[in-house]
Amino acid sequence: MAADVHTPAGSTERRTALQDPWLVRWSLIIAAVGVVGVLVIVPVINVFYEALARGAGTYIQNLLVDPDTRHAIVLTLTVAPVAVVLNVVFGMAAAWAIARYQFPGRTIVITLIDLPFSVSPVVAGLIFVLLFGLQGYFGPWLHAHHLKIIFATPGLILVTAFVTCPFVARELILVMQAVGTEEEIAALSLGANGWQLFWRVTVPNMRWGLLYGVILCNARAMGEFGAVYVVSGHIAGKTDTMPLRVEKLWQEYNLPGAFALASLLTLLALVTLLVKVGLERKMHGDAAKALQSTSAELLLDARSPLKESA
Amino acid sequence: MSIEVQNIIKTFGAFTALQDVSFQAPTGELVALLGPSGSGKTTLLRIIAGLEVADQGTVLFHGEDATDRSVRDRQVGFVFQHYALFQHMTVFENIAFGLRVRPRTLRPSARDIRTRVSALLQLVQLDWLADRYPAQLSGGQRQRVALARALAVQPKVLLLDEPFGALDAKVRKELRRWLRRLHDEMHITSVFVTHDQEEALEVADRVVIMDKGRIEQIGTPEEVYEHPATPFVYHFLGNVNLFHGHIHAGQARLGEFEIEVPEYADAQDIPAVGYVRPYDIVVERHRNGTPAIEALVSHIQRIGPLVHLELTRGDTGDLIEVELSKERYWDMQIAPGERVFLTPRQLKVFVHDH
Amino acid sequence: MSTLNHRILPGFRLSLSYALTYLTILVLIPLAVCFAKASTLTWDTFWGTVWTERALAAYELTFGASCAAAVVDVALGLLIAWVLVRYEFPLKPLFDAIIDLPLALPTAVAGLVYSSLYVQKGWFGQFLVPLGIEGAYSRLAIVLVLTFIGLPLTVRTMQPVLATFDDETEEAAACLGASRFRTFAYVILPTLYPAIVTGFALAFARALGEYGSVVFVSGNMPYKTEIAPVLIVARLEEFAYGEATAIAVVLLVISFSMLAIINLLERWSQRYGS
Repeated sequence: MAADVHTPAGSTERRTALQDPWLVRWSLIIAAVGVVGVLVIVPVINVFYEALARGAGTYIQNLLVDPDTRHAIVLTLTVAPVAVVLNVVFGMAAAWAIARYQFPGRTIVITLIDLPFSVSPVVAGLIFVLLFGLQGYFGPWLHAHHLKIIFATPGLILVTAFVTCPFVARELILVMQAVGTEEEIAALSLGANGWQLFWRVTVPNMRWGLLYGVILCNARAMGEFGAVYVVSGHIAGKTDTMPLRVEKLWQEYNLPGAFALASLLTLLALVTLLVKVGLERKMHGDAAKALQSTSAELLLDARSPLKESA
Repeated sequence: MSIEVQNIIKTFGAFTALQDVSFQAPTGELVALLGPSGSGKTTLLRIIAGLEVADQGTVLFHGEDATDRSVRDRQVGFVFQHYALFQHMTVFENIAFGLRVRPRTLRPSARDIRTRVSALLQLVQLDWLADRYPAQLSGGQRQRVALARALAVQPKVLLLDEPFGALDAKVRKELRRWLRRLHDEMHITSVFVTHDQEEALEVADRVVIMDKGRIEQIGTPEEVYEHPATPFVYHFLGNVNLFHGHIHAGQARLGEFEIEVPEYADAQDIPAVGYVRPYDIVVERHRNGTPAIEALVSHIQRIGPLVHLELTRGDTGDLIEVELSKERYWDMQIAPGERVFLTPRQLKVFVHDH
Repeated sequence: MSTLNHRILPGFRLSLSYALTYLTILVLIPLAVCFAKASTLTWDTFWGTVWTERALAAYELTFGASCAAAVVDVALGLLIAWVLVRYEFPLKPLFDAIIDLPLALPTAVAGLVYSSLYVQKGWFGQFLVPLGIEGAYSRLAIVLVLTFIGLPLTVRTMQPVLATFDDETEEAAACLGASRFRTFAYVILPTLYPAIVTGFALAFARALGEYGSVVFVSGNMPYKTEIAPVLIVARLEEFAYGEATAIAVVLLVISFSMLAIINLLERWSQRYGS
């Protein structure tokens, strides 16, 4: 007879009445693993296989010798962190305002933050070209002052920041709401001013959520293609980020080179996953559960404004 | 430093939390704000602290208007119901926090901070836990750290929001006595909020009883218990028996009992209720001339040194509770099913429809 | 906990003004510019651009492929979520973690590797092409890669719903004599409807805007395998900014509508409790 203890759904011991027949169970498991294997795992293996197809020596060569590839790596490592930092500062300000106060128009601000999620990357690139391109609104002014935004690094940073804007903010809002404001009020009653309160109490309490938002934001920033494609003008050696360089190498039928660079990006993705899982474990229990379902939303899409008491 | 609030009104949307509340806490006293949930006591405490802003009214510290001062400028020590300890700081760092965030000119040196914090740790008897984190402490220990943290900045006033609400009964009793002793040593004007009448009556110098945003009574624990001013206070503190009747021209007739109520001299036959405490009822086997009502003993319960009797009134069938000392009970040898006669020693009459 | 008055906790004005400024500069103004530019076109030119045969083919493909991919994602997502929540097997935590890979992987890499896998000489292509299944440079290829991209979205939407499903409801069904399959179809599945719809919407919205991966696998043949974002880029490279903007506006309007629909769906599913 099954145990009397009430086990929550999904626990390792399901009571006998709820067990699916052995055959059903394993067919489904194999099917699921098969699906994920074909769709996800095999492609990852393939990336590394193709990258190392001509031997480790060629692999290293592809990455380090080609000046354009080297430049692409450096460029990505410049653009992405800057965009992330910009969004972290924004995220902190936005999370503070939204999580800690009620004010008219709050829902609108939350929706605004969500907007970049629902804009196609190419459209994102387009609108910045419209603003800062030669024929754009600010084009002539920029040209007269010898400033280049489009087809130059600043444009890349801007558009990457646009596309990844919601990540850190959304995460911080969730974390700040989950943690609550009691400790901050306590600090206030002990005489701390706003900045002391923020740096000594608020930030340490949300450090894991912040890290989580940062790595997701970074992964997205480094991997952004469509928006950067439009804005960069893909001038090899100058404005090609790593994903763009992969595409260029692919266009030139330099598959080993393309895969070599792709393998770096895949490594980045795998490391991101690793850190993400580690952080989720750190942020214990249901907090992690909430995060799991929101990382899907965070990484790519629009979800409703957060459900707070109006 | 004394605290005074005058005519405080506070609403949250359509809900009125405080309706014209005024009271005083003299310097060095320990005052309890006692009442059921929703009575507005926590709101009042937070207004005193500066954590809420009243819609109307003033808050005075030592006679000075502090209504517009921010919470930082009020120099109050606040102890939260759920402690609000800084999770990522050690006990030591928690207590030192208030001193470390002082502006440079007022900040004590690192050595002074250490001395101060150690002294406080000793005061709350937790010096051996200085390097632990809040998650590693028990509820009672956390509350003491919260108290030490609030005291570190030498506040003029100490405010505690249901400080023992989250603890289990035994720890609650210990800490309650400990708080009283601490207060006797330090003499800081303190106000604490509680819904536990035993706690308020045992610890406080003065009790403010609140209900639905109004103050029902202010007085010492003895005063409010022995001489409740309103029906609510009667009901809230301890048990009470009700005797229904009428008042006519300064005379109250409640069943068998008649009592003079000069304050209602011109009342014309209005309904009234008499309130009697269970221990204020005299039980006799036989009538002895004084007005008494007949009742049937239905249930007897011995609880420690007291005996609780449950009786049903002969005339109305209402339930009456009587408390007897053990000695009296043994003298009388009452058994369930017996008929006895009850006379109230003290009865307070209120006019209202309940 | 009482709502905090901004007179108590400091920093309201500073944080809000910074956040609003940033948002205005980065989000509002660019979007406004887009609509402003589109409005400089005459109505005729606008319709002339967004309603050409090529454009219509692109919308049809974009919508069709996104829809198909989202449907597949829902089915696969349900399977995977079910297996994750209800069964135990070796290396399950690893399996669970890897599902999020499409979210972390740059889309260009996805496109690159998918194109190489399904070509005639690719690992999968060598089996599929002789069977007549073109997994690269075809519409199927687009659906394939969009499925990859949207998979974690549906899995992670349905997983929490399944995880919090009450055992006792299932047991009640069993007591009443329902077979496992009937229990699944009539008791469990209905509670998943909101999550299914939400998952579909998320995957669909995501697929609509996808560019990086599709560019590698589709071949970008106009009228056949050209999705709307690719058309926009083509117009841009011809310096036909107005027309590019017009199509972009169409996409934006659709995206914002999707955003609104997803919000409503969220609210609806919350009402049924998940």
